[in-house]
Amino acid sequence: MSTAAVRRETDSAVGLLVFMGATAMLFAALLLAYAILRAQAPAWPPPGAPPFPRAAAGLNTLLLVAASLALRRWRAAAAALGVGFLAGQVVLWRHLIAIGLGPAGGHAALLGQIFLALSALHALHVAGGLVALALGGGKLRLIAMYWDFVLVVWVVLYAAVCWV
Amino acid sequence: MDTETGPLPAAPTGFWRRYVFSTDHKVIGRQFLFLGLGFLAVGGIMAMLIRWQLARPGDPVPVVGRLFFHSAGGVISPPAYTALFTMHGTIMIFFAVTPILIGGFGNFLLPLLIGARDMAFPRLNMASYWTMAAATGVLCASFFVPLGPPQAGWTAYATLSTALGAPGVGQTLWVIAIYLNGASSVMGAVNYITTVLRLRAPGMTYLRLPLTVWGLFLTSILNALFVPVLGAAMVLLLFDRLFGTQFFTAGTTPGAGGDPILYQHLFWLFGHPEVYILILPAWGIVGDLLSFFARKPAFGYRVTVGALVGVVVLSAVVYGHHMFTTGLSPLLGESFMVLTMIISVPTALLVLNWLGTLWRGAIRFSVPMLFCLGMVFTFGVGGLTGLYLADVVADMYLHDTYFVVGHFHLIMAAALLLSLFAAVYFWYPKMFGRMLGERLGRWHFWLTFVPLNLVFMGQLVIGLEGMQRRLYDPSVYEAWRRLAPLNRSISHAAYLLGAAQLLFVWNFFVSLRRGRTAPANPWEVGTLEWSVPSPPPHHNFDTIPVVVRGPHELADPAARPLGRDWLSQTEVLDEPAPGLPVPRGRS
Repeated sequence: MSTAAVRRETDSAVGLLVFMGATAMLFAALLLAYAILRAQAPAWPPPGAPPFPRAAAGLNTLLLVAASLALRRWRAAAAALGVGFLAGQVVLWRHLIAIGLGPAGGHAALLGQIFLALSALHALHVAGGLVALALGGGKLRLIAMYWDFVLVVWVVLYAAVCWV
Repeated sequence: MDTETGPLPAAPTGFWRRYVFSTDHKVIGRQFLFLGLGFLAVGGIMAMLIRWQLARPGDPVPVVGRLFFHSAGGVISPPAYTALFTMHGTIMIFFAVTPILIGGFGNFLLPLLIGARDMAFPRLNMASYWTMAAATGVLCASFFVPLGPPQAGWTAYATLSTALGAPGVGQTLWVIAIYLNGASSVMGAVNYITTVLRLRAPGMTYLRLPLTVWGLFLTSILNALFVPVLGAAMVLLLFDRLFGTQFFTAGTTPGAGGDPILYQHLFWLFGHPEVYILILPAWGIVGDLLSFFARKPAFGYRVTVGALVGVVVLSAVVYGHHMFTTGLSPLLGESFMVLTMIISVPTALLVLNWLGTLWRGAIRFSVPMLFCLGMVFTFGVGGLTGLYLADVVADMYLHDTYFVVGHFHLIMAAALLLSLFAAVYFWYPKMFGRMLGERLGRWHFWLTFVPLNLVFMGQLVIGLEGMQRRLYDPSVYEAWRRLAPLNRSISHAAYLLGAAQLLFVWNFFVSLRRGRTAPANPWEVGTLEWSVPSPPPHHNFDTIPVVVRGPHELADPAARPLGRDWLSQTEVLDEPAPGLPVPRGRS
């Protein structure tokens, strides 16, 4: 690569880092909101709510991990796994709403509702990563950096909602 | 940081690529400037209407009343009044000051001041502008929906802003507009930070950056970190409004369920850094301009930079002072009080350095300088009144009174507006290649500065008397009926202030055509933007400049043989004249 191309790629990496910092703050603030609501609650999860489907969310997690691992070698497979993750999330959301952990569940469904908000916003960022992969051509290094970031965000969200 | 090689980028020729969907930072800067000035006028007219209602509660508004408030016979109804102050705050903060200072001057100046051909990501820059434009479209749409524009105040506290308090579509559109506005700000921040970190010309070290660049750079850091927090609040609010979740609605058992105070935490976690996001570029601009027009290097440049960084760090840990009356734990309240007061230390250093810059300077009272001096005064008064509000005990009384309104207007309106005008008068020649009329500019200054202070200091007095903000009609309360004459006087000063802006509008547009042609360097200063023609060519610099000194090389003895009192940042002197003392701290 010419020096100008190297320089441009470093520019892009710096810009991407700033963007990831901003995105991290977005999710950090949402997690803070979750932490405050949860810390104030007399009992957690709120009594009367059905158990959270951890296994289904875990399965989606595996899909996203696989997508990130595949990205550097098999881009098509990575894209397919990414789409699979989004489809899995949609299935999970529908399931949550069906079992009463959606907006209609009132305050008892708070855990499901906060998960819906967090994961919907996260899904938009995954979709953004897929668009970048489709359009981004030669910038695989940067795209992989972003995919890994989105994966880390997801793992933190998943752990915070399901396991902490 | 090496010099650009290869052919110069060609300027686009088609109308659309050149003026509408341009990636040139100078065009985008002007687009932001015009958008912001337009909304400044809209927000200003709203302020006039608010003042009309406070001066003559329930009287029909003359001239425009029939047009705006047709169904009420020209009278501002209570919901219309609530909508007015909501939109006034929203527009001024998010759609006037932000686009003018950060989007407008930030875009136009950053590459020019650091010696770059454009921003690091020109297309992202264009996207940032059009996202902002979309946000304004969504915001304006809220005027035309059933139940009208939002009425929850610019802070949109839950539950005033949830479906419970605001069933109309207007509030939903407001939330979307604010989210888009924030997205635009974050795009800008990504661009500005990368540009400053990566595209500085050779020799442009961090301590040779003009203070304007420091202000914009630090603002961008705060934007990148804290605007997303507002985004989080907006996402949760949108879920509450659209899907019926209840994040911000309290449950029936204490603690279980949502929490309206949670919204305030998220909002002010963003909201306090936001005031520094707005003022930091202004501080930078004033720091530079005071030095330029006092014909002296900025006093204590390094301390000023340190103070700016200090404010940025502290700004993240003081937001609780907006929430003293929400039942915050007293321990937390006390911590926030102390931290807030500590922030006055770097701010005081800043003002001290400004005064130090003026001290024994050969001051040129040009129009930009008048506005800068006005800013130093109003910022001083505004800052001092902040100390009362930082104190928990005093705040218990002053909270939500006009004292708060006076305080933040002295800074967010008076100081910001004055530095914004200073920037327009100063850089207009570089932006448009013409000088603004000097005489009209002086009239504009005095007719702005005096009424501005009368209005906002009057609000301080009324606030001390205990009058609450956001009241539709204070005269229905026995205790505040006697304040009616004062309220009316404040309104008269406000009308004068509003009318004086017509001078500026006239000056701005007439000078575009008929203003004196601007030379490359009308103010005789050494920063890089003045080393290129006015207006600069598409590629800014024919060759990327090599910087050899700081931005404030004024009254430098080394310049004396050249017959002037300033040195350009790029000027290489043949050899230092022997025997001349080299002042310490100059790089």
